[in-house]
Amino acid sequence: MKLPLLLLALSAATALGATNETAEVLPPCCRPLAAQTNYTDKSLFQLDSVWTSDAGRRVKLGVLRGRPQVVAMFFASCQFTCPLTVSDMQRIEVALPENLRTNTGFLLISFDSERDTPTALKVYRAKRELSNQNWTLLRGEPDNVRELAALIGVIFRKDANGDFAHSNVITVLNAEGEIVYQQPGLNLPPDEIVAKLKSISIP
Amino acid sequence: MKNGGASPLRPPSGALPFRKPFLIFNFEFLILLALALAPLGVSAQTSSPPDMAGVSNGVFHPLFRSQTDLKEVPVKSFYLDVVLVTNEKFLEFVRANPRWQRSQMKRIFADESYLKHWAGDLELGTNARPDQPVVWVSWFAAKAFAQWQGKRLPTLAEWEFAAAASPTLADGTKDAAFQRDILRWYSTPSPGVLPSVGHGPKNFWGVRDLHGSVWEWVSDFNSATVTGDARGDTGLDRQLFCGAGAVGAKDVENFPAFMRYGFRSSLKAAYTVHNLGFRCAKDL
Repeated sequence: MKLPLLLLALSAATALGATNETAEVLPPCCRPLAAQTNYTDKSLFQLDSVWTSDAGRRVKLGVLRGRPQVVAMFFASCQFTCPLTVSDMQRIEVALPENLRTNTGFLLISFDSERDTPTALKVYRAKRELSNQNWTLLRGEPDNVRELAALIGVIFRKDANGDFAHSNVITVLNAEGEIVYQQPGLNLPPDEIVAKLKSISIP
Repeated sequence: MKNGGASPLRPPSGALPFRKPFLIFNFEFLILLALALAPLGVSAQTSSPPDMAGVSNGVFHPLFRSQTDLKEVPVKSFYLDVVLVTNEKFLEFVRANPRWQRSQMKRIFADESYLKHWAGDLELGTNARPDQPVVWVSWFAAKAFAQWQGKRLPTLAEWEFAAAASPTLADGTKDAAFQRDILRWYSTPSPGVLPSVGHGPKNFWGVRDLHGSVWEWVSDFNSATVTGDARGDTGLDRQLFCGAGAVGAKDVENFPAFMRYGFRSSLKAAYTVHNLGFRCAKDL
C-alpha cells in the first residue's frame, strides 16, 4: 500500500531533479570563457546564438568559418529594397572570377522571425535561384536578430503591417568572420566588393 | 525600499478624535481599514521582484514614425528596476563572468573605453563609487548583465512609457513642473561626479532617476532613426532606409524626446560612453 506512494514520490523527485538540471544550463552570456577562445576578438563567429537554415538545420554562425561571406539582412515578403539587395549580391557572385566564386559564401539573414519559417526561406531560395553551393539562408529568434543587426550596424523596426523598415547594407566578412567592408545603399555596381574579396582571398 | 516597488502600507496617520464616541468609531474603522488593506500590501510586495516596480498597461506614442508605423504602440505591463545598475552590482557580475571583465573583453562587444573609469578588472578605485550608476558599458554588456539576473533590457517603448510619468501622473506631459525639471537636466552638462543611484524622486510607478542621472540603453536602441526633417536627411541615408518617408515628428514640443532619439540613433552596440548606463526590466 505504501510502496506505490513511495515510488510516486521518488519519481516526482527525479522529475523535479531533471527540470532543475535543464534550468541550470547557463545562458549564453555566462558560459565559460574557454568555449569562446577559438575565434578572433572581432569575429562575428563567436556569437552563441543558434539559427535555423532553410533546410531546417540548427547552426551557429561559426559553421561558416573558412571562407569570406557576403552578408545582408532581409525578409522574404519584402517588396521594395530586399529584392534589390539580393540582386546586388547576385551580381557580385557573377562578377567574381571562377576560383573566388567557389570560395565565397553569400549569407541572408531574415528580420522576420515570425513569417520566415525554414519553408518560407526554402521557397525564397528557389524563387531567386540561390545556389546551395554558395548561399546560406537563416532565420533566428527576435533577440538574436536584434543582436546581429547591432553587430553589423543595421537599423530596423517592425511596422504596423508586420513588415520591416530597415537600413540596406551589404557586409563583407573575411574567412575568420571579421567585418572587413561595408557598402550601404542599393543598386550599386559590384566592383568595390569584388575588389575587396580579391584582396582578402589568399591565392 | 529594499523590498519591491510597491509603497509599503503607510501607518494610518493619527486621526485626532475630538470626542469619545468618535474615537471608538475611528479606532474601529482604522482597524478594519488596516485589515482590509494588509493583504493588498503583502501581495503587492511579494509579487514585485525585489527592487523592481510594476509599470501597468499603457500606450507609447512614437516621436517619429513613417506612414506604415503604428501611431500608438501598446505597452504590456512589466517590471522595471527602481534604480540604475550600480558599479557594485556590475562588479558582482564581472566577478562571476570573467569574459565580461575589462581585460578579457572581445572588441566586437565593447570598445576600448569599456569600464575605463574602474581601477582594474575587479577593482572600482576612486573614480567609481559602488553606489553610482555603472557607465562606460556597451549594449552587449548591459544585455549580458540583464540575462545573468534573469532579466532583460527594457524596450524603447517600455522605457519611454515609464519615463513619461511624473511623480504624480502616469502621463507627465500634463505636468508642467515635471517638464521644466527634465528640460533643466537636458540643458545642464553631465556633472563630473555622478550622483548615487536613487537620488531622484520616485515617479508615478515608483521608478527613480529615469531623468536627471544618465542616458540608458534599451534593447531595441537600433530601431531609432532620425529621418526627414532632421540630420538624417542626406542622399546616403535616404538610400539606406527602406520604408516610406517619415510622416514627421508627432510632438514637436517634446524636446527631451528629440534629444533621446538623436542620441540613440548615434549609438552603436559596442559603444561605451561616460554618461550612458542601464537598468533592467522583466516580464510580469
